Amino acid sequence: MTTIKTSSLDSNEKTCPHNPQTSCGDCRLGSICLPLAMEDDDIIKLDEIVQRGRPLQKSEHLYRENDNFASVYAVRSGTIKTYRLTSDGQEQVTGFYFPGEIIGMDGISKDHYANSAKALETASVCEIPFNSLEQLSTQFPSMQRHFFQLMSQEITNDQQLITLLSKNSAEERVAALLTSISARNARRKLSATSFRLPMSRTDIGNYLGLTIETVSRVFSRFNKQGLINVEGKEVTLLDSDGLRDIAGVKVTEHPL
Amino acid sequence: MSSITSPELIATSNDKELISKYNIAGPRYTSYPTALNFQEDFTTNQYRQQAERGKLTSIAPLSLYLHIPFCQNICYYCACNKIVTKDKNASRQYLDYLAKEITLQSALTSKRRLVTQLHFGGGTPTFMDNAELTELMHHLAHNFKLTDSPNREYSIEIDPRTVSQDTLALLKGLGFNRLSLGVQDFDQQVQKAIHRQQSVEMIKSLTEAARLYQFKSVSYDLIYGLPFQTPESLTTTLQHVITLAPDRIAFYNYAHLPDRFSSQRAIDRLSLPSAQQKLDMLALISSTLLEAGYLYIGMDHFVRPDDDLAKAQAEGKLQRNFQGYSTCMAPDLIGMGVSAISSLKHCYAQNEKNLEDYYRRLDDDELAVCKGLQLSQDDELRRRVIHDIICNLELNPKKIEQEFNCNFSEYFSQALQALIPLEKDGLIEWRDDKLRVTERGRPMLRNICMPFDKYLATQAPSSYSKAL
Repeated sequence: MTTIKTSSLDSNEKTCPHNPQTSCGDCRLGSICLPLAMEDDDIIKLDEIVQRGRPLQKSEHLYRENDNFASVYAVRSGTIKTYRLTSDGQEQVTGFYFPGEIIGMDGISKDHYANSAKALETASVCEIPFNSLEQLSTQFPSMQRHFFQLMSQEITNDQQLITLLSKNSAEERVAALLTSISARNARRKLSATSFRLPMSRTDIGNYLGLTIETVSRVFSRFNKQGLINVEGKEVTLLDSDGLRDIAGVKVTEHPL
Repeated sequence: MSSITSPELIATSNDKELISKYNIAGPRYTSYPTALNFQEDFTTNQYRQQAERGKLTSIAPLSLYLHIPFCQNICYYCACNKIVTKDKNASRQYLDYLAKEITLQSALTSKRRLVTQLHFGGGTPTFMDNAELTELMHHLAHNFKLTDSPNREYSIEIDPRTVSQDTLALLKGLGFNRLSLGVQDFDQQVQKAIHRQQSVEMIKSLTEAARLYQFKSVSYDLIYGLPFQTPESLTTTLQHVITLAPDRIAFYNYAHLPDRFSSQRAIDRLSLPSAQQKLDMLALISSTLLEAGYLYIGMDHFVRPDDDLAKAQAEGKLQRNFQGYSTCMAPDLIGMGVSAISSLKHCYAQNEKNLEDYYRRLDDDELAVCKGLQLSQDDELRRRVIHDIICNLELNPKKIEQEFNCNFSEYFSQALQALIPLEKDGLIEWRDDKLRVTERGRPMLRNICMPFDKYLATQAPSSYSKAL
């Protein structure tokens, strides 16, 4: 990936979300991404190690399974899908990542990425070289703490997903995904009830372990029951509480 | 070997007499020689030399133990090395030192050695928050070769009051596949008297979550002999336990030693059950759990018949170390953290017991070993004998003779003499030239091992808790 480093700290300009000129200090995702726990001076240091490249085009890979692990990435715009290839070569979707969320942490323990990461739409990411992050962490313990918090949250979510897939019905799974996307939108101060699904029905089905027909059927059923209004990829949650009840999982910050 | 045990075990009054006869003070043999025999002149260099043996060539598996000493609250019965504090930063500082020790220890061993067994004990390991636990696993994974094999035994002690279901999801994701919950007793009056209050619902929800997240086993730690415990209150506790159906149960005897463990001074001596009541309770525990389908594998441990420990014992492969029984213990156990004990092929080594001392040693970039024991061949021979008795309930003198090149009956003539009364009482029997522990003898494992312990004669008996 080519990278353009920036030292611009101009925060007055309203920039395009893909704009690599944005710095950590004025990024609107700062409150949910790594800088959360940092003081102003620390953020400038973080900014020095963060690399921002050109946006990824739809279907472009950020990294592939088994690539050497060197960096974690913060999604700044767009949506990234992670997946793994099963032993018989089938794609298994393992996650969807929205702006402000960190990906690539699955590579830390084995020094190779355990998943491939691919853009579902035009997306931009901030690359955080892990060595530099570790060095920075020794200078700023709060940063390290925050990083491991993110990591523990990620691990917890993974386990909850595995459990969801092993136990719950199609309705419960779809409801859990919609509830999760809604909660994550709310965290980014976006509408929790009205959003566009960035992923295809095929990806949703693959992720939730359901056939595409089942996914469509559940969407229509929810539509009919007045829980949601769905038109193509545009979804409006009409009864969030109802959905949450169906999901049945205790909805933590973002359960999936 | 059969693990089938009849429900009548030790329940008869005849056996109760036997129990009181053998109810003398003795070690639990989580190691031989026991920690009481460790020498202060054992040096860090001695440990280093032993640990580095085979560094370049060895591919033998490793066991790791991590001690996290902090507790939010004091439990009056506890005799562990622990630090009670409300200061959440305490674990942060500790983690930094632990990371340093992990780096130092891992430099001594080969990275090729697979960690088949990992245990987090305390104190309260979950005193650490989710981020800290993640960080600790991250350090371990960076410095040792952890595995995700389903045969691994990665376990952690849980204080049910400190964790949510989400924590269990995290622990599963971090690689733990076995949990042990500190239950102690379900009776409210007992819980109040030991300063550890936790509801049945709390234990139930965690046990269910552990099943949901597919932990391989859930173990309950329980204690008998606590203040206000009666056979009646224990019956109710046992009913709860059987309903919740943990895979493993460790039912420990409370040893009231207020002179050695200051927190036990908060327990009123007069509220403790009498010796007779304790015997009744012990009989009640065995008969109830056996009737509910559990097997008694020895030294206070009950397991479901399909549990790995039961299978291992049946195959003669059961092992035992400081963390209790195990199926995949490695030849070397590296203990890290304040007061942790390492057990290598030819030595034991214990870390500084005091937190300041532990920190000070690591500040000097050295291992925190403060005492230990270089094993003589005699120690190793006796260790092997005691291990076989406790784990496999069987001792084959021929095998020992081959392995250690000695004449068993001459070497242990005194011990064999001392075992004759035990044989008369039906605790052991000789069959096919092998010494076997009978069903009746299982609750008296320590008594059967003690004649083989060379150090016992030189020690004051009050150093140990009663055998039963």
